[in-house]
Amino acid sequence: MKNKTLLIISREYLTRIQKKSFIIITILMPILLVAMIVLPVTLVLLNEKNQFSRVLVVDESEIFINNFEDTKNFEFSYRSGDIEQIKREAFDQDFDVVLQILDNSESLKSNIYYKKNLPSGLESEVESQMDDIFFDQLLQDSLKIDPVRYDHLQALAKSDAVTIQIDDKGVEKEHDAEINQLFGMACGMIIYFIIIIFASQVLRGVLEEKTNRIVEVLISSVKPMQLLIGKIVGIALVGLTQLVIWIALSAAILMGIQLAAPNLFSSETMEAVETTSVGYHNVPDAATIDIAPDNIFQVIQNYFSVSFGVIILSFIFFFVVGYLIYSTLYAATGSVVDNESDSQQYTMPITIPLILAIVFVPSISTNPDGPLAFWLSMIPLTSPVAMMVRLPSGVHAWELLLSMGLALAFLAFSIWFSAKIYRIGIMTYGKKPSWKTIFKWLRE
Amino acid sequence: MNIVEVQHITKLFSGFAALDDVSLSVPQGCVFGLLGPNGAGKTTLIRILMHITFPDKGEIFFKNHPLTADDTYDMGYLPEERGLYKKMKTGEQAMYLSQLKGLSKGEAYKRLREKFEQFGIMEWWNKPVEELSKGMQQKIQFITTILHRPSFLILDEPFSGFDPINANLLKDEIAQLKKEGATIVLSTHNMASVEEICDHIALINRSHKILEGDIFEVKNRFKKNRFSVEVSRFEPSLTDQLLSREFQIVQQLDDGHYTRFEVTIPQTQSINDLLQIFLQYSDIHSFNEILPTMNEIFIEQVEQSNQTRNHEE
Repeated sequence: MKNKTLLIISREYLTRIQKKSFIIITILMPILLVAMIVLPVTLVLLNEKNQFSRVLVVDESEIFINNFEDTKNFEFSYRSGDIEQIKREAFDQDFDVVLQILDNSESLKSNIYYKKNLPSGLESEVESQMDDIFFDQLLQDSLKIDPVRYDHLQALAKSDAVTIQIDDKGVEKEHDAEINQLFGMACGMIIYFIIIIFASQVLRGVLEEKTNRIVEVLISSVKPMQLLIGKIVGIALVGLTQLVIWIALSAAILMGIQLAAPNLFSSETMEAVETTSVGYHNVPDAATIDIAPDNIFQVIQNYFSVSFGVIILSFIFFFVVGYLIYSTLYAATGSVVDNESDSQQYTMPITIPLILAIVFVPSISTNPDGPLAFWLSMIPLTSPVAMMVRLPSGVHAWELLLSMGLALAFLAFSIWFSAKIYRIGIMTYGKKPSWKTIFKWLRE
Repeated sequence: MNIVEVQHITKLFSGFAALDDVSLSVPQGCVFGLLGPNGAGKTTLIRILMHITFPDKGEIFFKNHPLTADDTYDMGYLPEERGLYKKMKTGEQAMYLSQLKGLSKGEAYKRLREKFEQFGIMEWWNKPVEELSKGMQQKIQFITTILHRPSFLILDEPFSGFDPINANLLKDEIAQLKKEGATIVLSTHNMASVEEICDHIALINRSHKILEGDIFEVKNRFKKNRFSVEVSRFEPSLTDQLLSREFQIVQQLDDGHYTRFEVTIPQTQSINDLLQIFLQYSDIHSFNEILPTMNEIFIEQVEQSNQTRNHEE
């Protein structure tokens, strides 16, 4: 008897992984995924290179001469003389910008001359450096402090804020709340897509067997339950295979890139990518400690520093249980209808909660301990997504266990429910059963 | 000995009885015609026999023990509405279906190659089913139904979709299976094939069994004492003589060589009385009894049963 279930599982598995579409998606996906990571980094790097501009400073106040600090993007040179003449010559001498600082002791006034485009960030860079330099100058003048001692004092006054989370056991962890939110959202999305894609495959598989009438032949040799279990397990294995290949391929490609371009994933560029994507321009600090180019896996590992084991185990749990809940319910749906378009009427009530969970992902991730996040992570139809979004930001152990327990209890119900419906549904053709008829089947 | 005993089976579908107290026996080693109009309850009965659905009342005995799930290993079922996985390769699919019936991989492969060869479809082994014609798909389905050599087979409309040549191939195959000792239940609307290959029949109408028995015995039960006499020459007074003795002439046909009379014998007369008149007034070429065809019995019995049922309701 067990043999037959294995036979069904292997058929479901083998026919699917031999499909061209499976092979193509399995290979293309990691390439796309890696491209999504590598492209922004490369673009930012290219952008940085292009952004490099040479600034010629004409300082009439003489306060700023040799006081500008070169940055990654800007190099400052100094010249004095007639501004009109310098303006005429400078652009031919490979300068991009001429900065004229007017001599006015009351306030600071400057003109920035450029051709074509003003290099982005130059204006704020110049203003902030000028403010600092001028302020230092004023301070030194009024306090009569020795410049060396002043620099020393300034270095002492540097601050560095580190965010530290204290978990239930009192263990302190250094991490970035933003990264946690992003990671949680990614986990929730992945769970959502896996459930939708593979549960729909179960629905289509059941429907295929029913509409081409092979089910009549099959159930004369196997029990309907064996057929159902075989299909659900077979497709789950297809999903796992795809996931494992995706992870392995992505890692291999990233490793290849790491070898080919070791500097691409240094912590500096990662920071640049991060700040660029967040949308403000960070002023590189003089005190930034230069870090040697990191291994890309270390960079990723840093993201996962939050109770990584728990996240992985929970991910597997919600992946499996979420898939099983939806695939059993979808299988029941596939068994009662005669074609795919009719199936939507029945899947709607179970799919809407899942879509709601996705809609609320941003709210959950910004307020992971709020009532919305709490209840969505308890309701079994939404918890696989909602709990995975909350988890990286930290939840109480009892909440996680309660959510898992509720999901398991609901799974037991959905298996019972689907087995009852499926058994009768696959042999019923013709008119769509009403909800009342379906309720009657449950009691048979 | 009966291989299958159906005893007082009742099956209800939301209040409506698809089968109402149906009993019948399938003798071992025969070809059993399960007949009845559409919607009579044949498919429901077949599903109960195949352990797919279960009766609300009554019992099924298979080889003298109550039917169990394991018995289906010894059964083969070719459903009326039958299909295959369209995208799957033919050979692979046949292997799968055979293994589900309990054959080992090696045994299934060996027997399938043999059968594919015999049915002339070997070149399709590696092609997906959707590229096969309907007739070829039917062959595959038939092969996978009988491959595990079941002692009890149910074939639901096996001839539909077959051309006459392939239908004959199938008939030979059924005869061969019967010779090897298998019992075959044949559900069909094709009465000609019932006459040709069935030994026993049961007729189901509106959830009730209305007729069952050996096909020869059934035909005799419904015969109407009608005879056919072919003569090469007859005297004009022949018809008057027949009519005066209360014989009814149903038909008189002259095909140029012989004249054929179809005559019904009244209760008061015997076959000998009939022949004496013909001997006296004609030269007899041939003489035989006309038995009703299965087609006639089917129509008559179903109509009769419908009338009594309507009357009761």
